[in-house]
Amino acid sequence: MSATTTDTAPLTINGTAIDATFAEAFPMKATRLVITARTAAWAREAAVSLTGFATSVIGCGCEAGIERTLAPADTPDGRPGVSVLLFAVSSKELAKQIGRRVGQCVLTCPTTAVYGGIDPATSAAPLSDRAPLGSGLRFFGDGWQIAKMIDAGHGPTRYWRVPVMDGEFVCEDTAQTVKAVGGGNLLFLARDLDAALAASEAAVAAMRRLPNVAMPFPGGIVRSGSKVGSKYAGATASTNDAFCPTLLGLSPRSELTAEVGAVLEIVIDGLTEADVAAAMTAGIDAATRLGRAAGVLRISAGNYGGKLGPYHFHLHALAADLAGERR
Amino acid sequence: MSTTTLRVKTAPPFRVDASPLLPAALASLPVAEIAWLMLPAGNDTVAVGDLFDVSRDDAPAGGAHDEPALVIDGAGAWLDRVGARLDAGRLIVRGTAGDCAGLRMTGGTLAIEGDAGGFVGCEMRGGRLDVSGDCGDFAAGALPGDMEGMSGGTLTIRGHAGARLADRMRRGLVLVGGDAGAYAASRLVAGTVGVAGRTGAHCAYGMRRGTLLLAHAPASLPPTFSEGGRGFEVFWALLARSLASEIAPFSQWRLPRARLTGDLAVDGRGELLIAG
Repeated sequence: MSATTTDTAPLTINGTAIDATFAEAFPMKATRLVITARTAAWAREAAVSLTGFATSVIGCGCEAGIERTLAPADTPDGRPGVSVLLFAVSSKELAKQIGRRVGQCVLTCPTTAVYGGIDPATSAAPLSDRAPLGSGLRFFGDGWQIAKMIDAGHGPTRYWRVPVMDGEFVCEDTAQTVKAVGGGNLLFLARDLDAALAASEAAVAAMRRLPNVAMPFPGGIVRSGSKVGSKYAGATASTNDAFCPTLLGLSPRSELTAEVGAVLEIVIDGLTEADVAAAMTAGIDAATRLGRAAGVLRISAGNYGGKLGPYHFHLHALAADLAGERR
Repeated sequence: MSTTTLRVKTAPPFRVDASPLLPAALASLPVAEIAWLMLPAGNDTVAVGDLFDVSRDDAPAGGAHDEPALVIDGAGAWLDRVGARLDAGRLIVRGTAGDCAGLRMTGGTLAIEGDAGGFVGCEMRGGRLDVSGDCGDFAAGALPGDMEGMSGGTLTIRGHAGARLADRMRRGLVLVGGDAGAYAASRLVAGTVGVAGRTGAHCAYGMRRGTLLLAHAPASLPPTFSEGGRGFEVFWALLARSLASEIAPFSQWRLPRARLTGDLAVDGRGELLIAG
């Protein structure tokens, strides 16, 4: 991934330079699952387990993250819950990941139940197909499972009741999937590692306050930004040497200056292009509020020259209305 | 949308098939043409204008709705198959309805402000059917010889239901505010049936799957029913939410105090939930 410059007018907010570049994102298939449990703690346990090892589609099959915690009044069964978002490159892979992850991480977790979290009537994202949820997991019931159609005012919904040792595992039959956007990103170039961490953590915290987005890497932050390809045959991705501070002066692609001591990246997947844009804007805002005084020197983004992904998030456009001292 | 009203002039001494009287169909006809519609009556036919005074009001009946409405005022037990194959709109029957009201309806709303005869909601597929009084036998059941009873929608009966309530029912929701006769939920394939009063003999006989909600434990059950254990709170939470907007007392029910499962003579995955 490189930082292809496309916008020419320089932009600096609170001393932090915003590169005249854009993040390039791609179509993905996504769904939201609502996990409920007897307590909020058990719902979170299941959600953390389900979204584990889901940092990148390159090696994990999907990208996933916890979206937010849900009050009992906001869940189908009136219990505490957590909503999670899963993104994959195809409907087939998404369905596979849902089945595996719910089967191993939610079905197994005490007291949990799981429901589809996308309402087709209100979804801003274009609808895709319905992925199997309980329709696959029901076979764990070995013939004792029961299907139940219940209409809670939004049309009949089919649930499965699978006998398990703490009672019943209840799950919706299918989950609505949507055409989503994956791969929005921001790069924070800082004076040192502490400053890069502070900027990235502030940005992730701001993004997590927004709905419909997931930052799939650990803590929402990735330090091993990658580029496509490698000098080694068979490796599809390798380190993004353009932003590695130890390669300044070595890599001909380096985009760093001597004052940059560390770079961290945030990858953002969202249900719609607007959701990703809103999260990136919130991230830029949080980092520029810290500004150069806190060691946040530049904000950049990764792209492939704009030829691969149909979604381009131009940093200057995203930052156009942000507060702060400009130069 | 407009409301078409058919007011009975004089109750005829013969039975009349009201299945052609559907809200959407009548809304598209001029009032004069409606009067010339012929309704089956035994081996003969009778004109709508001979039985009813026909009128039309542009104001919708019962508040603002964007769907056509039809009101049959002064109906009696001679008016069979009212709302049969109803698929849209609202049909309000003021008075008693005859047999087969709501037969095979797939959508819309049928409200009977009185009693209904046998086979009400029989083989119903969707929509909503409300009976404010009592109804006869085979409500939500199957026609003789057919294999499947009600398979969708909601049927509420505020009064008592006759025998064979929900016989062979496969899907949907049936709620009875009063008592149910013998063989309630017999041969139930699936779906949810609630009875707030007492149930007659042979309740849940041959029940395969489905849920039977009861305010009172049946006087007797076949030995092919067993204790159903516990651990169904999450399912109950989902079901209770769906019942919250339904008729009392179902809207106020808490977690059932007992669960029985059966009928083990058949599939055995049905459940009886006794209200707490």
